[in-house]
Amino acid sequence: MSSPALEVAGLNKRFGGLPATRNVSLSVMPGERRLIIGPNGAGKTTLFNLVTGDLTADAGSVRLFGQELLGMPTQDRVHLGLARTYQILTLFPRERLVHNVVLSLLGLDVRRWNPWSILTRNRDLYERAHEALERVGLGDSAERIVVETSYGERRRLELAMALAQKPKVLLLDEPLAGLSQGERQTVRALLDTIPRDVTIVMIEHDMDTALGFAERITLLHYGEVIVEGTRAEVVADPRTREVYLGD
Amino acid sequence: MTRPAAVALAVCIAVLLVLPWIIGNEFYINMATQVLIYALFALSINMMLGYGGMVSLGHASYLGIAGYACILATIAGYDQLTAAIFAVTLSTAAAAFFGVLSLRAPGLGFIMITLALGQIVWGVAYRANDLTGGDNGIRHPARPMPFGFDIRDAASFYYFTLVVFAVALFFIWRFSRSPFGASLMGARDQPRRMRMLGHNVWLVRLITFVMAGFWGSVASVLYVYYNLFLSPHAISLQQSAEILLMAILGGASSLTGPIVGAAIITLIKNVVSTYVERWNTLLGVIFVVVIVFMPYGLVPGCKQLWMRLRSRKDKAAATVVTEPAR
Repeated sequence: MSSPALEVAGLNKRFGGLPATRNVSLSVMPGERRLIIGPNGAGKTTLFNLVTGDLTADAGSVRLFGQELLGMPTQDRVHLGLARTYQILTLFPRERLVHNVVLSLLGLDVRRWNPWSILTRNRDLYERAHEALERVGLGDSAERIVVETSYGERRRLELAMALAQKPKVLLLDEPLAGLSQGERQTVRALLDTIPRDVTIVMIEHDMDTALGFAERITLLHYGEVIVEGTRAEVVADPRTREVYLGD
Repeated sequence: MTRPAAVALAVCIAVLLVLPWIIGNEFYINMATQVLIYALFALSINMMLGYGGMVSLGHASYLGIAGYACILATIAGYDQLTAAIFAVTLSTAAAAFFGVLSLRAPGLGFIMITLALGQIVWGVAYRANDLTGGDNGIRHPARPMPFGFDIRDAASFYYFTLVVFAVALFFIWRFSRSPFGASLMGARDQPRRMRMLGHNVWLVRLITFVMAGFWGSVASVLYVYYNLFLSPHAISLQQSAEILLMAILGGASSLTGPIVGAAIITLIKNVVSTYVERWNTLLGVIFVVVIVFMPYGLVPGCKQLWMRLRSRKDKAAATVVTEPAR
């Protein structure tokens, strides 16, 4: 059996007196699609923030392909193959879409240290950025400014920025949030095209769309892992009904 | 570059080149030199302010460190070139140290640390009588003779300053268009996102801090050559604030803004002050008016105004054309 792509063990985080993450352990195998569900305030996004390093964990361990991430700056974790999208859009609103993706590509390119060359003359970066935008169906919008685009388009831009980096482990924080039914299907179809060499952990509320996507599901409640298992197991578990499906 | 921009650039270069002939008067040629020196100060602080969103109130400390180092090394008997290189190197190294200290705190903390560092340099210059001459200041022996050229008269020194300024402007322009510049601006707008994209935000900011310190130090050496004198008054908090105001007044988000801001403030300080006693008040009024009506500064504000006027003119032209149809 191969080692997990992402392994979280005994992870703890408190905000003052409030425990946000309590002894969370989970391991995601390479190529797996993992869904993380739980009611509001269950600590789903906090878990992502601990994995990426936006927050500092109090205790525990997070391993990416066996390498310990805790104590490592966020940008170094990204260089190891970690990428994420944000639930609350975090883009560069006054820039063109293509520039957003170029910034993403630069993040893993040594040219980001170059204070002398003219950025727009780095044709290959722009070609790759265009490819990434085409992949999410934004090829024609590359030259538009982010504030001129629709919310759905921005969601897809978030995805393009993450995918452009060719991550090994991709964390998606509610990629369908705020989208219309039609847009959901588009994004969902897009997620299906991501190759299996990318491991995906996704937080999502839209069960109809998300359930079909994931092989395994982890249910968080008050910062704790309540249930974990295959789709059928978790849906059938009475505790899931209790805390999540509101039965 | 678009054609109007290229034409504008060519006109600017031509005007700057023939400026001493147009002016003729030595006082005003010196004024133009001062504008260039302050423009370089403002451009250097703007690398941090405009592109990095880092507000520094300690930029005059480079004038202190590089300025005194240059004068003292020259007095100690080193040749001018060695003294200048020593001064800029020392001051840039100090910028690295200051940067590490200042970048520990974001936002307001950053401003306060730069301010404190600036005050420390000022205090040392003020107290170290034996070295700096204290309040009386210290004289620089003479202007250098770069490549055997005599730059003692106003016009030659203007050209010397213009060459240094042009080189600096070119480097800073490239910087603003470079991948590094893009990372810096990204870090200004979305630091958290930039980290998540693999950028080392702290190091990007530190390098910018050092680069700004370097060009500030170059401007400082020019300042010493121009005045042939340095005293603690020149490196006070007011100096730092003025440099900052130049960049803000002209427009920190643009490359030309700090130059325009430096020109306006320097001219008001030196020219208008001979006619208007309360020139400081005038400066304050101008600043308030500009910020109220053009919150992003003069250059971006005028650009916006120009666009609006043009679109109105286009609309007016369009109505004239359609009128016969009515």
